[in-house]
Amino acid sequence: MKIDREAVEETIETMKKQGFEYLVKITAVDYVKNIEVIYFLRNIDKNQDFTLEVDLDPSDLWIPTIIKIHRSADWYEREMSEMFGIEIKGRKAKRLLLEKWDGRPSPLRKNFVWGQPYES
Amino acid sequence: MAITKINVGPIHPSTHGVLRLVVHLDGDTIVKVEPHIGFLHRGVEKLVETRMYMQSHPYMEKIDYMAPMSVDELYVATVEKAMGIEVNERAQYVRVVLLELQRIASHLFWVGSICNDLGQLFTTFMWGFRDRDMALRLLEVATGQRMFYVNMRLGGLARDIPEGFAEEVIEFLDYLEKRLKDYEKFIEKNPIFIQRMKGIGRLSRSEALDLGVTGQVLRTSGVSYDVRKNNPYYVYEKLNFNPVVLTGGDNLARYKARVLEIKESIRLIRNALGNMPEGSALGMPVKLVSPPLKNRMVTVSRENPRGEEMMYMVGDPQKPYRLSIRAPTFINLSALDYMARENRFADLFSIMGTLDLVMADVDR
Amino acid sequence: MSIDSIIENAINSHSLAVSLAGLIAYGIVIAILIFAFSYFFGWFERKLIAKSQYRHGPTYVGKYGILQNFADLVKLLAKEIIIPENANKVLISLAPVVLVALNVFIIFLIPFSPALQASNLGLGLLLIFVVLGFTPIILFIIGFASGNKFSDISAQRSVLMLISYELPMIIVVATLALFTGSYSINGIIAAQARLPFAILMPIGFFVFFVAMLAELERPPFDTREADSELIAGWLTDLSAPYYALALLLDYTRMLLGGLLISILFLGGWDGPFLPAPLWLLIKAFLVAVFITIIRITTMRMRVDKILKFGWIWLMPLALLNMVITFFLFL
Repeated sequence: MKIDREAVEETIETMKKQGFEYLVKITAVDYVKNIEVIYFLRNIDKNQDFTLEVDLDPSDLWIPTIIKIHRSADWYEREMSEMFGIEIKGRKAKRLLLEKWDGRPSPLRKNFVWGQPYES
Repeated sequence: MAITKINVGPIHPSTHGVLRLVVHLDGDTIVKVEPHIGFLHRGVEKLVETRMYMQSHPYMEKIDYMAPMSVDELYVATVEKAMGIEVNERAQYVRVVLLELQRIASHLFWVGSICNDLGQLFTTFMWGFRDRDMALRLLEVATGQRMFYVNMRLGGLARDIPEGFAEEVIEFLDYLEKRLKDYEKFIEKNPIFIQRMKGIGRLSRSEALDLGVTGQVLRTSGVSYDVRKNNPYYVYEKLNFNPVVLTGGDNLARYKARVLEIKESIRLIRNALGNMPEGSALGMPVKLVSPPLKNRMVTVSRENPRGEEMMYMVGDPQKPYRLSIRAPTFINLSALDYMARENRFADLFSIMGTLDLVMADVDR
Repeated sequence: MSIDSIIENAINSHSLAVSLAGLIAYGIVIAILIFAFSYFFGWFERKLIAKSQYRHGPTYVGKYGILQNFADLVKLLAKEIIIPENANKVLISLAPVVLVALNVFIIFLIPFSPALQASNLGLGLLLIFVVLGFTPIILFIIGFASGNKFSDISAQRSVLMLISYELPMIIVVATLALFTGSYSINGIIAAQARLPFAILMPIGFFVFFVAMLAELERPPFDTREADSELIAGWLTDLSAPYYALALLLDYTRMLLGGLLISILFLGGWDGPFLPAPLWLLIKAFLVAVFITIIRITTMRMRVDKILKFGWIWLMPLALLNMVITFFLFL
């Protein structure tokens, strides 16, 4: 299901009340024209999986945090923000999780070409 | 009392790899644990995008070096699903046997290493290592490699199991069942073990769901979610499989869950070997040009020995466009801070031990 | 050839040199004995542990790997001494030596047979336990002198351990001394001629044995050098030669523990056929092997649980032992 980023918090909260209380993963895909953030949610009692997709414009990259709804979102959000350069609004900025990054394009974006030496 | 900050790792006897923890201590009580990860970050997800589908296959196993077969199989299953390839029936049985053998090997190693974390003098560690090596030898018989197999192929396997393999496996399982009783006598009857494990690192059901932990950590908190049962793949449905679900959510429950899972795996292997059909288990030979893509976006989940490992793949005709891996130990480690708080410093390592960390899996 | 007789001789015959030579000879014999025992026990322990873990243990250096520990010792002694910047250089290099010296001194005080003893001090037992009580304090000093946080924690644990087992141990020893009416080791061994104290007062034996395990830093009480938590505790920053000393110390203290337990509870040098010193050494060796078997099987107790165990179990048991002894036998 595709939703707007403004509706992310509200939708996930509603989903949680309906039983989707387990967050499997947050990840993102760079389609160059847009960046898609994907939330995998799961209802364990009913054994259902659900996917929420949010399209972001590469020139205006931010998404609200859902750490207040799912505590497990913490590291996923940090990893995603590091790998895609997506700003997570509404949470404290923390140290980088996986990489020590020095302002190059974020590694999992398509404009980061693998194997090419980086010139600053 | 003042808060003491202690830096544990990246090189420390019980961090199971290169993990650095900054522990904030109030006296002997843990106030906060900050895990610093990324020492083994190799950028697997990026690397995959630059290679053909089957070129990155051997690299996948190195994600989880304690249970390489499970990631091996997961990646191939993801590609199979994207290309709409069916696995032949005998190969399904063989895959189940190999995966469960790998699970046994991984759990045996864990049972040994947890006692080491609790301060035993490597005795159980060596026992577990020795028995694990027997399982690895069987995997070597089946695949030709002791640890990094690259045995899965699209639609089947690179080589079928040799003649007489089933008898050898059953011999090993008989031996292991006897051996598990020794472990029980040696470990569970030890009052110090119980004292160190019971009630430590407790997670309730709602906390476990909120923290998103997976695998045994989730199942011992009373949540019944095992991918093999809830979202069955291959022939698990036919094999009369019961997931191990315990309540208690403490270290002791996690220990028991793993031992019970070994027993469950023994049963599964026996069933699978008994029902294995004749025929060919071979898959397609490796070619650089892959079969055409059927589904662009696929999600595949597997029950890794450490928890639910998931791959989300967006495909291109020859290469993956994006492969996202959900590592079970990554999310389990993120729960360490919450679990360790208000415990003693000495218990930090037993809690960390019960998470069964593999740092290569955490960092990818 | 005791100190008393030396002094007496010296006063009487003005030939201090002769007796001193005897004392020095005795000292050399004891030193050789300590080294030989430590060496042999070190090798035996490695073999025993290896066998329990389906390994072979050392096999390469010498027959059955008996020279392996010697090779390790040479390797350690040949290494560079590195003292960390934060460490107190004097304390950290002096304390291990003092530690070894103290433990050797205690063994020097222990008589090996009615004839083979350095001193027959009336207060020998008291002196031994006073000197023994210094050990945790010196471990504490090394821990703090190392200047790293793991050693700091080890030092703190050292103090906690001290207050949890030292007192019950002393109470048991005091019971023994009061019961036999003598503070001398000869007197205590003489009192066990009919029945060893291990049978006479089993509770006291248990308490003393457990306390001795803690004193010797053997599992389940090895919290001070807990390797899976504190890397190596107070040993973390000890450089190679000091580490070699600490390892030697480990085995010396096993000998010491074995000797004390056999003297106080297992009848000392009493035994048929074999000569007295040999009996004592055999008993000490068996005690040390038993301690090693415990080491192989158990996990480590948490330090707060040890404190609790010391005060809830060991302390009342030690007092109970005292009460029973006095009501039944006096």
